[in-house]
Formats: sequence, structure tokens, C-alpha cells
Amino acid sequence: MSRSSRTEFLLGNGAIALGLLEAGCQVISSYPGTPSSEILPEAHRIAESEGLPLYVEWSVNEKVALDVAFAAAVTGKRAACCMKQVGLNVALDSLMSAAYMGTVGGLVVISCDDPGPHSSQTEQDTRLLARAAKVPVFDPSCPEEAREMVRTAMEISEEFRIPVILRPAIRVCHARQDLCWDPIPPRPRRAEFQRNPTRWAATPRFRLKLHEELNGKLKRIEERFATLYRFNGSDPAAEGVVPLGIIAGGVPFAVVKDLLEEEGREKEVPVLKIGTPYPFPESLAEEFLSRCEKVLVLEETDAVMEVFLRDRRKVWGRLSGHVPWEGELIPQRIAEVLDRALRDVGLDPLEASSDPEVFHLMERLQLPVRRPTLCPGCPHRAAFYAIRKALPKAIFTSDIGCYTLGLNLGAVDTCLDMGAAITMASGFSQAFAQDGELRPIVATIGDSTFYHSGTAGLLNAVYNDARFLLVILDNQVTAMTGMQPTPGLGVRADGSLGKAVPLERVVEGCGVQFLRIVDPYEIPSLVRTLKEGWDYVREPQGGIAVIIARHPCVLAYREEAIPQKKRLKILETCKECRLCIERFECPAILFDEEAGRAAIDPVLCAGCGVCLQVCPNKSIVEVKEEAGQEAPHKG
Amino acid sequence: MAKASWEVNNVLIVGVGGQGVILASEILSEVAMRSGFDVKKSEVHGMAQRGGIVSSHVRYGSEVASPLIPQGEVDVLLAFELAEAVRWIGFLSPKGRVIASRQRLVPPIVSTGLASYPEDAESILQRETWAPVLVDAQQLANQLGNPRLVNTILLGVASRLLELPHRTWRRVVSERVPKAYRELNLAAFEQGRGILGSSSVS
Repeated sequence: MSRSSRTEFLLGNGAIALGLLEAGCQVISSYPGTPSSEILPEAHRIAESEGLPLYVEWSVNEKVALDVAFAAAVTGKRAACCMKQVGLNVALDSLMSAAYMGTVGGLVVISCDDPGPHSSQTEQDTRLLARAAKVPVFDPSCPEEAREMVRTAMEISEEFRIPVILRPAIRVCHARQDLCWDPIPPRPRRAEFQRNPTRWAATPRFRLKLHEELNGKLKRIEERFATLYRFNGSDPAAEGVVPLGIIAGGVPFAVVKDLLEEEGREKEVPVLKIGTPYPFPESLAEEFLSRCEKVLVLEETDAVMEVFLRDRRKVWGRLSGHVPWEGELIPQRIAEVLDRALRDVGLDPLEASSDPEVFHLMERLQLPVRRPTLCPGCPHRAAFYAIRKALPKAIFTSDIGCYTLGLNLGAVDTCLDMGAAITMASGFSQAFAQDGELRPIVATIGDSTFYHSGTAGLLNAVYNDARFLLVILDNQVTAMTGMQPTPGLGVRADGSLGKAVPLERVVEGCGVQFLRIVDPYEIPSLVRTLKEGWDYVREPQGGIAVIIARHPCVLAYREEAIPQKKRLKILETCKECRLCIERFECPAILFDEEAGRAAIDPVLCAGCGVCLQVCPNKSIVEVKEEAGQEAPHKG
Repeated sequence: MAKASWEVNNVLIVGVGGQGVILASEILSEVAMRSGFDVKKSEVHGMAQRGGIVSSHVRYGSEVASPLIPQGEVDVLLAFELAEAVRWIGFLSPKGRVIASRQRLVPPIVSTGLASYPEDAESILQRETWAPVLVDAQQLANQLGNPRLVNTILLGVASRLLELPHRTWRRVVSERVPKAYRELNLAAFEQGRGILGSSSVS
């Protein structure tokens, strides 16, 4: 019966998953997004190996995910919902109301921040949204702490009947450390629903009462946080008042702790760690402030704790201009900020550990940027190439996913938020139509993003008679975030089969009259279809034309995507036009300066052969296996 | 190179998306973990993985708080690409060493004339860092019969500077590579390990 403990070198997201299971979480919903995507799969993996009951679902978007998890919590089960920080914007409608209504079982919302940003459209700080929604938030500094915090968050949520947020930053999610755990006993709860319309369907009159109740909860949680020494507190104080103290949370806390220890100055500059920035444990901070002449606040990404400190004259941070308002607080930036603060209070500066000369050299060298690029063989490259060819003068609205990299092919002009390829295309169409102009507009959106938030925009566009071409880039997977399934295939988060909802049925259901499905590897056929689509858009009785460019992702489905790998070669007849490099931008095609022509890197080449259709000079040829002869491509 | 056992060891592994930086950093972390150290590691996912600049920080010691290596604290910079090695030398500690593959991956932007590739990357490394180890890893891998052995060869070189048990390295490498390629990878690892002091180093 007894199994010994287990140790694994877990990703921060794995540590969060482990903490959720240890807290008895039975339901997890999520929409993938860097840096949050691995939490749900890790929870499923660990639950399987521990024999724990766990329902997981990839919801179609974050708002849907939060509603699903919230309902599970209303039944008394413990539930969690995971997303990236911009996903919380989508789920905010649900969160704001859920805070008023409260829960029965614990509900933890995990919203992962991306200071940098490394893989997001904003650097927004989830803690600000927690404050706006009046929901408590935990801010872990490392994977192990994230695991402990998620357990405590679940307890607090259930005790006070309030959703609680865990806000790990990317350096927690994508850090790894060894974690040890004992067997987790299953503690399944049965779903129950107690009718209570004044709570679960509260009208404005009852909402006022719920708001008052929420404010009372926050007051009591603040008091609890002030005694939560496991996550909040400072080392025993030095005698008297020190010239400089630091209040820090999250990853910046871990960085500054290392830095002070390396320099042997941890006694000289005390640090108050706050792991629960909201509701802010003010009494702890006030006591710390009274022992310091100045306090430097290090937090990511915005000023949150800083604004809760009442004696602003003593506080240095973003408002005082000491800490930058944008960008990740990487170790060297924290070292610069700390060094300045030390000098300003008259303490010794930090020992300079790096050579400024080397950095000047780096600036002079101007090393080449390596912009992210679509993979060799990516069907999106073929689709974008065809779009540029068919309608070179169009406005290209696009969306969030790998295909944002269509930028490199000159086929992406806008990228606002999830679903905006369609809604911005609508807006452009109406703005030009008002002036009597029919501008060609081509919107591109991925399959997963279309399911996430494309349908409302498409319905709206059809209803309001907007005119544009929509190309749904259907690679049958959520590729950018690590190959999660989409509703189109019907495979679910746990690998079981659900009911597939084909894209074409959804598109037709939105009232679209022109729908074609084309394989983007066939560039001439896609170009022809795009032109037909544009003709339809232009007809007085026309409307929106939708083309599904369907070809499996080369990373997710290597065999299906390229069943017969082609061996390719560039002949001496290459005229150095560089179209294959600059316009087609395949990473496997390089310019060989010595030979004076383009060349194919056989290690990088995926063998899709799409470039055969691209070379205007027919200098790219397939190397035939049998005779080793080269046959020019016909086509 | 030797550090007191309580000190934090910092290894920065860098390269270009798709070169296997993350797997190499996982192997090193596992070796350090099994050798009894507290290990923290940081990596990149998402947009940054699509052909861009990739780096992974590995830190181990008796206690490590942050997964990020501060500037000027890198003990070993393991680079899978030459220009990427140059990009990160400002992170080296005064006694830090560079191990770099001589492979050059010139990004497309260079051929458009909008950026340049440092032709003298090797001499920059020789001039600006102490005793860099430059390895013809690709050539060696091809000689061993598989271009994908580059990572294992480079880990072998690094293993000589990192003072973690040889046996643990061998065990972790054999566990983390496909079964069919186990012997080949171990041979590649040993070949890399033998490089420091032999003639393929300049």
C-alpha cells in the first residue's frame, strides 16, 4: 500500500500542478498560452501516475475556462483555471463577478505573467487586475514556493469563499528545480448544488450586499496575510534604524537575495519579502518601514506594493524613478537599481563584477538579430506566399499565433489581440466603405485562435455586411504553445476522444456563403481560389469569402505533413534574385557567398518541396533517388 | 576553475532555436541534481523558440535562490554557435571559460545586407576571453556518423570543466537519448571529454 516519496526535476508549471493535486484539486480548465501551457498537461500526468481523480479540459478560451472552473467550485469541488496574463483579460468579465458571488469549494486562478515580454503582446501585471477584481493574489519567487502557495491559496479560497489568484512570472513557470513529494491521498468530493438565487443569480440589489461581504472578506484576509510568515516577512532585524531596506516579491526577491548574499551584505540591507501583494499586509510593511530610513521596492512588472506604502517620502521604486516601468527586472537591472540606491543613502556601492569594456565591444559589433521565423516546411509560409502573390496591395490583418511571423513575408500588417484579424478586417472594411472605397483586405487567423474568439467577429462581420477575405490557417493544432489539440479534431486534453467540431461547419453556421478548402502547399491553386474569393467579395450581392488553408503542422505531424520527403538542390542556373530567401524566407535556404548562389541546408530542409513552385527561374530542383539525376520541376 | 563546494556554479548554454539548447541544459541539471546539489534552471518557450536566440541558465550549489545568472557570474559559457558565443561573453566572470562550437549559422537578415555576421568571431573570443575552447563539433559529429551528436560532444567538453562525477554524466546521457543511439552518444560524450588537452583545441 505504501509507496515511497518521489523526486523529479520539475518545471515551475509542474510544481504548480503538483501543488494543485496536493490541495485536492479535482477540476482544471485552461486555454494554452506561454508561459502557462504546461500546467494542465503536468497535472494530468501526475494525477495519472498517482491514481487521482482529475477532470482536465482545454477550453476554447479563458472566459469559458473560468466559468467552467467556477461552476465546479460552486458544486463544492476544488477547482483551478490556468492561463497567461492576457488570457485573464478575456476571463475578466467572469472573474469580476465571481469575486462578488464567492465560491463553495476552493477556486484558484493561475495567471502567468511575462515581463520582458518574451512571448506576449503586453507586459501587464496580473496583480493590478487582482486589485481591480478585489481578489487576493499570491506572487511566488520560485517553483517550490509556487507549489506551497497554490496549496495555501486553495485553503484561503475555500475558507473565505473567494476566488484566489496565483501569479507566477515566466521565470517561475519556466524555471526547473528538484521537488520531492509523498504519495497524494485521493480526497474526491461529490458535486452538489444548493439553490441560492440571491447569490448565484444575484440582482443589483443583492450585488450591493455581496460587494459589502467581499470587502469584509478582504479585510479579514489582509489580517491573515500579515501573519502568514511562511510567505511574508524579513530576517531578524538589526538594532536601530538602517539606512536602506528592501521590500520585494516574486522573482525580484530571489534575485536580490542572491545578489546581497554574493556581496555578503544581507545583514546590512534587510529585505522584507511579501508573497501576498493583495490585499496588502500593511501592518508588516509599516513595521518594516519604521526600521528603515529609505525603502527600495522591487516588484514585477508594475507599481503595486509601492502604491500601498503610505509614507511615499521614504519609498523608492517606480514612482520615484528608481525602477524602470518596462522590461524584465533581470539580475543586471536589479544590480544597477540597487547600486544607485546604495550610493544615494551613502552606503558602499556593489562590487562591479563585469567588465564594461566588453559591453562596449558588443555594442560596436552589432551582432545580427535572429528574428523568429516560421519552421522549414511550415504550411503557413506557403499560404502567406500565395496571399502576397494573389493580392499584393491588400491590407493584411492577422492574429496571435505562429503565423504572426507572416510579418517576415510581408503578409501581416496588424496583430491586436485574439480574434482581431476578423474584427479589424471588419472595421477597416466599414471605414473605407463609408468613403465609397472597397479596399482589398485579407485576414489571416489560425484554427485554434478562430475557435477561441473568431466566431463572434465573423458573425458580426456577416451580419453587418463587411467585405473581406478570411483565410483560416488550419494546421490542426495549437502550435505556438506546444501542440495542444483543437476542437476541430475532437481530441481532448486527456487524450480521449470528444466530439469534433469541424471549422467548415462553424463558418457556415456564421452565415458565410463562400467557403473553399485548399491545401496551401498547392500554391497555384490557393492563388486561384484567393482571386475567386476576391471576385465574390466585390460583387454587389457578395459578402465575406472564407478560405480554409488546411495542411497539418510539420512539427506536430511530421509524417502526415510531408509523407514523401523531397531531396532538393539549387542549380548553377540560380540568378541570385534571392526571392527564395527574402520573399519566401525559408530558414533552410541560405545564400552561399562563395558559390554566388542560393543553397539548401540539408539538415534544416524539411523536404516539403514548396520552394520548387517559388523559384522564378526553376533553379530549385528535386534530386531523384534512383538515378541520382535532377529533374526540373514541372509546374 | 575549482570552486568551494558551497559556491554557486553558473553555466549558460546558448544557441539558436532548434539546436537542442534545452535538452543539453536538462542533462546538465540532472547530473548536478544527482550529484547532490541544489539546482535551478531557466529556459525559454513559445515565440522565442522559433529560430530566435535561445539561452538556458543552469545554476547549482548548496543553495540557489534565483534561476537567473547575474551578469559577470557565468563560469562556463557553452555555445552551440559562434556568433551566439560572442553575444554572451559579457556575462562571463573574470575566470569564466567559453566552450564554443565552430558552427556558424548566418541569419537571413545578413544576406539582405541589413546586418553583419562577425567574421572574426573566433579572434574576438580569443582576445576577449581567457583560454576559450573552440570545437569543430559538427565535423566530429559527422565523423562519428550523425550530425545530431554535436550537443553530446559539447557536453563532453563541458564535463571536464564542471567537476561533476563522470559516472553520473554517463548515466544521465544514456537515459536521455533514444535507446538506439545510446552507444553512439556515449562515444560522442567521451570524444568531447577527451578534447581538452588534445590537438583539436585552439
